[in-house]
Parts: sequence; C-alpha cells; structure tokens
Amino acid sequence: MVDVKLENIVKTFDGTTALKGISLHIKHKELFTLLGPSGCGKSTTLRIIAGLDYPDSGHIYFGDEEVTYLPSYQRGAVLVFQNYALWPHMTVFDNVAYGLKIRKVPKEEIKRKVEWALELVKLKGFENRYPTQLSGGQQQRVAIARALVVEPKVLLLDEPLSNLDAKLRLEMRSEIRRIQRELGITVIYVTHDQEEAMAISDRIAVMNVGTVEQVGTPRDIYERPKTEFVASFMGKTNVIPAKVVERNGDKVTVEFESFRLDGLHYTEKSDNVVLVIRPERIKFRPGENTVSLEGTVDLIEYYGFFTEVVGLFGETRIIARAISDKEIANLRPTQPVTFYIDRDDIIVLPKQNL
Amino acid sequence: MKVSKWSERLFGTPLPDPVVITSFLFPLLYLVAFLVIPVIVMLGTAFEYNGHLSLYWFRSIFGSSYYFNPHPSDYLVKTIEYGGKEVYHFYGWDFGVVLNSILVSISVMILTTLLGTFFAFIMARYDFPGKNIMRVLLFIPLLVTPFVNVVVVKKMFLPDGIINWIFYEHLHLFPKPIWIDGLVGVIIAQTITYYPIVYLNAYASFINIDPSLEEQAENLGSRGFHLFRTVTLPLALPGIASGAILVGIFSLEDLAAPIVFQGSAIAKKLMSYQIYSSFVSGFAVGNPQMAALALIMLTIALIMFLAVRWYVGLRQYAMLSKGGRWKPRVAKPKWWQALIIAFVAVPLLLITIFPQIGVVLLAFSKTWYGTWPSGFTLENMKAIVTQPDIEHVILNSVLYSTAAIVIIILLSLTASYASSRFKKAKLAPILDSLATIPIAVPGIVIAMSYFFFFSTVPPFKGSILDPTNLLYFFPGAALILAYSIRRLPFAARSISAGLQQVHVSLEEAAMNLGAGRWKALTSILLPLISLNLLGGAMLSFVYCMSETSVGITLGSINSTWYPITAKMRELIIGAVGSANLAAALGVFLMLVQITAIVIANIITKQRYSFIGLT
Ligand SMILES: Nc1ncnc2c1ncn2[C@@H]1O[C@H](COP(=O)(O)OP(=O)(O)OP(=O)(O)O)[C@@H](O)[C@H]1O
Ligand SMILES: [Mg+2]
Repeated sequence: MVDVKLENIVKTFDGTTALKGISLHIKHKELFTLLGPSGCGKSTTLRIIAGLDYPDSGHIYFGDEEVTYLPSYQRGAVLVFQNYALWPHMTVFDNVAYGLKIRKVPKEEIKRKVEWALELVKLKGFENRYPTQLSGGQQQRVAIARALVVEPKVLLLDEPLSNLDAKLRLEMRSEIRRIQRELGITVIYVTHDQEEAMAISDRIAVMNVGTVEQVGTPRDIYERPKTEFVASFMGKTNVIPAKVVERNGDKVTVEFESFRLDGLHYTEKSDNVVLVIRPERIKFRPGENTVSLEGTVDLIEYYGFFTEVVGLFGETRIIARAISDKEIANLRPTQPVTFYIDRDDIIVLPKQNL
Repeated sequence: MKVSKWSERLFGTPLPDPVVITSFLFPLLYLVAFLVIPVIVMLGTAFEYNGHLSLYWFRSIFGSSYYFNPHPSDYLVKTIEYGGKEVYHFYGWDFGVVLNSILVSISVMILTTLLGTFFAFIMARYDFPGKNIMRVLLFIPLLVTPFVNVVVVKKMFLPDGIINWIFYEHLHLFPKPIWIDGLVGVIIAQTITYYPIVYLNAYASFINIDPSLEEQAENLGSRGFHLFRTVTLPLALPGIASGAILVGIFSLEDLAAPIVFQGSAIAKKLMSYQIYSSFVSGFAVGNPQMAALALIMLTIALIMFLAVRWYVGLRQYAMLSKGGRWKPRVAKPKWWQALIIAFVAVPLLLITIFPQIGVVLLAFSKTWYGTWPSGFTLENMKAIVTQPDIEHVILNSVLYSTAAIVIIILLSLTASYASSRFKKAKLAPILDSLATIPIAVPGIVIAMSYFFFFSTVPPFKGSILDPTNLLYFFPGAALILAYSIRRLPFAARSISAGLQQVHVSLEEAAMNLGAGRWKALTSILLPLISLNLLGGAMLSFVYCMSETSVGITLGSINSTWYPITAKMRELIIGAVGSANLAAALGVFLMLVQITAIVIANIITKQRYSFIGLT
C-alpha cells in the first residue's frame, strides 16, 4: 500500500513562496493529476515528493512512513523529468538498466527486466541506440521505461507529453493510462492542459499560485467547480459577475445588467458572485426549471461538430453551444434571441480576485 | 539523515552530504591554507616596526625618491652616440619604482588594447586574400617562451638590429637608427608578448555581437567610424576590457622583461624586479619593506581585477539577448582599408611574430651579434636530449606540472561543482571568488609568501617545504603548490563551462533512481565533462611548464631541482652563447604547447582560446 500524503507543505525560493501550505492525499494505485497554470507550483510539488527538493515546513508520508527529509535515492518515488534527462553518453539499454545496476540486480535479471520495460513502452530493438538517435516520443518512452523498470512505489510524471505533437500526445496518453492500470502503480501526473487531465486522471487537484483550489474527479471538477478559478480554468466557459439581491434559505436571487435570476443555489456569505454557465448547457427552448435571458445575436461561429452563438445581453456577452443546426437555423446576427438555462446548470460562486 | 540548518545555510542542502561538504571544504581549505594565509602572514610583516604596529615601511617607500618620485629624472628619448653613429635612444622617465610599475602597466594596457583590437577588428570583419594565413600567424605570438622572446625583442631593437636594418637602412623611414632600451624596452617587449590576450578577447567579442544590432544602426543612418564608435565598440568593450586588465596584471608582475633589460639601470626600477632581486640576494625574506612593496603591488592588481569583474558583470545582460547563431558580418575591405591591412597590419604582425621566429633562429645558431644570427648548428637542440642538466630540468618540470594538474583538476572539479550546483550556499560566492583571485596575485608575491610562511610557521617550519631547511627542502613541493594555485583559474574556467552545459536534471535523474551523490557524480557528471577536464588539464599543463615567477625564485634555490624556467633564467644571464641553449628550451616549450593545443582542439572539437579573464 503506497498512498502519498502531503501535509501543509510550504516552500519558498529567495523570498517568493512557491507553495503556500499544500495538503493532498493520493491513494494507492491512483492516477492523480496536478493541474494548473504555468508557475503555480506543480513541478515544485513533484520535486518535493521525489526528494529532489526539501520543503521549508510540512510533512510527507508514504503510507505510514514519514519521508520528508529522506534523500531522493532512498525514497523510491521516481520522477520522469519534463526534459526526459536521458544520459547522452549511455545507450537506451544502459539508461534503462542504470537503476537496476545501482540496486545490484544480477546481470541476467537486468537483461530480462530491461527487455520487459522496453517491450512495455514498445521500444524493443532500440537497445543499442543513443538518446540523440531517437525521436522525441521515443525518448520520452525510454524515460518512462527507465523509471518503471525499478518498480517505483510512486511514479511521478512532469508534463511528460508537452514536447510531443498532437497525434503522439493522444497515443502516449492512453499508453500511460494502460501501463498504469497494467502495473497497478500510483502515478502522480503534472500537466497544465485541462483536457489531458480530464482524459487521463482518476482524480485531479487544481492548483493556483501555490495553493490547491479543488480536488476531485474530472467530472466533479468540470461540473461542480468550487471556485471561480477552477471554473474558468476548466475549458471555455461563461463567467458572469453578478450581485446577490435576495436570500431565501439556500436559494438566492441574483442580478446582473438588468436581469434578475431567482431560485439559484448559493450558501456562501459574499454578495459579490459570479455565475458560471457552461456553453453547452444553454438551450434555445424553455424547460421545466429554466430561467430565460433575452438579448440579441452578436456572432455565430461554426466549428464543425458544434456551432457557437454569442449573445449580447446588455454589455455582457454569453456563449452558447449548439450541437444540432436545427435549433439555431433561424438565428441571424443582430436579431433577437432568448437563452434558456436550467437553474441547476447555473453555478453561483463567490467572486475571487484573480 | 538529520536535517540541519547550518548545512542548508553553508552548503545549500539541508542534508549534510559528505560529497557536497568535501566539494566545498577541500578547495576552500586548500586555497585558504596555501594562498590566503601565507600571503596575509607575509604581508602582515609590513605593518611592524620595532615590534610595534606601524605604517613606517609604507612611509619609507612613499618618502623615498627611489621608490616614489613624482618629478621624473632621466629621459624618454635622446640622441646619443653609439658605435660612432648618432642614434635615438629610447629609455624612459624615472618616476621611482612604484610609479614606474604603474606607468609601464598602463602603457602596456593601452598599446596592447590598440594592437589587439586593431587585429581583432580586421579578422572579425574583413575578408581578404591571405586571411587564413594571417589567422595562423596570429597564433604564433601566443606561444609562451619565457625570457628568450624578450632576448630577441631586445636584439631586434638594437641600433644594428633588424628593425633598423629594414626601416632605416633599406626603407629610410627613420632619420636616424633607433635603440629601444630601458623601460621603453620593457614596455615594447611586454606589448608584443601580451597583445594576443587582448586580441583573443576582442575577437571573441566582435564575432559575438548580434549582427542585427549593427544592421539596425546602419538602417538608421549610422555608418563607418560612427557606427563603430557608437554600437560595435561599446558592445565589444567588456571583452576588450577584461583582456586589457589581464594584460595589465601580467605586466605588473612580469619578471622576464626587466631581467632581460637589466643592463639598463632603469629597467630594474620596477616593483616586480625589486622584490625579485632582494629575494635572490636573500634580503627579501622577512624584509618588511619588501612586504610593503608586495602589498602595494597586490593592491593595484586586485583593484584592476575587481574593477573589471564589476564592470563586466554589469554589462553581461547586454549579451544575453542574443539567442541563436548567425553569420557574422564580414565585408570586403575598401581600397584604403586594403592599404591599411597591407601596409600597417601585415608589417605589425610580422614584427610581433618575429620574437618566436627569432627564438627558433637563436636555437639553431651559434651566435647572434648584430642583425642576424650566424653559424647554423643542431647542438643546442641536441642538448635537450643529451645534456644531463638540460634533460634534468625538463624532467623536473614535467614532474611538477603533472603533479600540479592532478591537484588543479581536483580543485576545479570540486570548486565548480560546489559553486554551480549549490548556488544558494553562503560559501558558494566565497569559493567562486577565491578560485579566480589567483589571477590577480603576482607570482613573486606568492613566492615571497611561501618562503616566509613555510620557514617561520609550524608545522611547515623545518619540513620539506621550508626553504631554509638546507637538508630536506624540496623545491618541487613548493613549486607544485604554487603552480596549483596560480594556474587554477584557467582550468576552473574550462571545467565550470563544461558543468554549465550539463543540465542538473541529468544528475537528479540518477539520484532519483537510487544513485547516491558520489555515484551520480562518477557515472553521470564525470563522463559528460571528460572533454572539458582534458582541455583544462592540457591548458594547465602548458601554463605550469612555462611558469616563471615562482620557478626562478623558490625553484632556483637548488639546481638539482630546477624547473625549466629557472634554467632558462640562469642561461640567459649567464655565459656568452648560453642564450642559444635557453632558446632551445624555448623551442621545446613551444612544441609542447603546439602539441597540447592541437590535441585539445582535435579531441574536444572546441577552439581553446588559451587565456581569458571573467
Ligand atoms: N529553483 C528555483 N528558484 C527560484 N524560484 C523557483 C525555483 N523553482 C521554482 N521557482 C518558482 O516557484 C514557482 C513555482 O514553480 P514551478 O516550477 O513549480 O511551477 P510549475 O507549476 O511547474 O510551472 P510550469 O507549468 O511552467 O512548469 C514559480 O514562481 C517559479 O518561478
Ligand atoms: Mg513545471
């Protein structure tokens, strides 16, 4: 059982606080993703788990064992570096065999295990090449094989796909998922691509300047964002500033521009809120529990498998996404339009200073 | 392992790791023990008079017109009689020892800057027939041939020397023959010896300027000399300045030129020579006035060194913007520029490579009176392999230099590992400065410090390092220490350049996979920087073999243990005809250097530019 626990990790670099007290609990055999914009502290978190940096305060546990200051080479949390860090003076075989040699594994077994690892990443036959003779995707797979072959307690992947082209990225994404399932290991994955995070993860932690904003399953995070930051980070969405004007138990009425929307779920204190509405949730026909917004069509953009209608409501632009052309066949720019939104699809969140 | 705050502060890692601690402490303690403490202890004697703390010795220097003479005596140039003919005798004003040294150093800096920048600009910016030949010829003045090149310079500028033979007798460009002597002789000899340092630094700067910067200026209407003055020169200035300062320091501590020109009294009135001569006559040791003089000399060198580091550090950002590679701007020279190249650059180049050619001529001839050497002979060169005392000094030098480079490699490896991988450590900047500071410490100061320190302070007193211990003193030990300190900066530079090219993540990946720090170092880092190690080793070997100041002082105490340079000094001030033998040793040293540089260039596929500051 290797679950990884971080408790209140703080890390400062020359005066700037990179991590402001992070706590996470990553379960055994889980593929856990750290997601967040550039500079939010993802790599720092990963390096601290790997033992390549030490936190200023806080604790790290692998299972019940505290490993906060255990040197990297005794920790067994193996990192696949963003730049792969393959050793240019060693062949693919020697790169992969390195960790085994350190562990004094007998020669025969090293051979067997390296073969197994290279097969796993589909690189059999490349043993004698040098890293410079490989493509980016192949190098990345060598880096993964090098980490896997030592049977790490935890595999740490730092933006492993960021240097690959789109097609290879999709391929490698499912490869990583397959390998993780096959070997049943705990994987912590870092990315700033929300789509990648959604596709690959069991759970996601969304990070923002040194803090964790939300932890949850991809569906949770996409559909029930807990903060404005998470909502706006998870794909194209409408974030509309509004004011709470009336409260009634856990229901509120909010106002933006000249519109009043009632019966929305909201329990937080702040009256300054944002309304988060996913474009694909907006309909052009009334439903049972819908609110309606009347405005004019500003723009219609055709994307192939869907079409976006940008409506203008006072000064506010709201994007709706239509899958079938029928619904919107009559819409023309500058003509009036009504958006219908189910009350359950309007997420009211306190306004953040982003 | 336990976390420790002091380890984090001192060494930049919270876990006190023996490899990291050794990497900091070994070079640090070595430099403190064999550079900082000996120099400070020796210099300390300058502040003592009759058992009291006092500035007496400094007052005695600045109060005596021998040392400090703001109203100069003697002359710069004067017509005198020589062998029945009138000649212009270039000699030099005598401002006293301290000011003379400073003025010589400044003059040499100015002349080498002009000469070096001039050649660098031509080579970096113009394309002309014969440019490749010129490139190879420019390599020649770089070859270090202690003493004997100055001997040749002196001969060139005698009234019946080659310069007058060409420019007075044949071209009639001078109204009277010239005779360059005294301090002017020292300045000319040092200029010819050291200008390649400025050339290399300036050349590197010119070809590293982003062409778009000049193109933009041109685009805005700046042309010709205006463009050079407003854009090109300011951008190249940090490089040129660091070359010039290095030359200034070398000039200040140079002993070869004053020793060769010591026939004229004024050439001896330089700080380096004063300390040297009192050293060989036995008066320097424990002589507080010489310690005071050494302190003055060291202070000047340090000020120059720190000033240029500060200045170059300020301007480094300008160079950061550059990015990728580009084709440097080279143009065909206009007609008048072609004339300058043909009638100024080429003759100047030929004059400045003549010392090395002259050394070869001297080595293959019996005598050299007047214009040309005479009596071809192979005897001098043969002596290298047949004459026991010559063979002997070569073996000694090879032994000392080899031992020194082992230490140098260990020092530069540990020092650059520590200060590049643990930048946050409080000790890192200290180590970094200490490893480069030997550039600014004159060799003669180190020699004097060692003599005093090792002969007075236990446990060295009475050991093989104690020069006054006639029975057991082994000069080789002192020389190896001195070489390892003096040549450290050059190897450290090459090795830390290598370390910077290896991304830290390569070591981290190894440690993350279970390798301890030591294992990561030996299996990953060392193989990856092996070429830089080799380059650094070659470079230090060459410079150890030709080390002069300590070699002719501490190394001259016992002839059994002479290094090459001690023998060369003995030969050139000794009997008639023995300079030819010294020249043969010079040829030998040139061959060693050419071999080392060729090997280094072939194996590392990098251009080793020998020498540089920063
Ligand atoms: N060694 C360091 N020295 C100083 N500051 C650092 C160092 N490493 C990280 N930082 C700072 O800490 C913050 C977090 O950096 P980190 O590398 O963890 O971000 P990241 O989320 O991985 O970003 P990216 O997506 O760009 O890789 C940044 O502000 C960064 O500048
Ligand atoms: Mg990162």
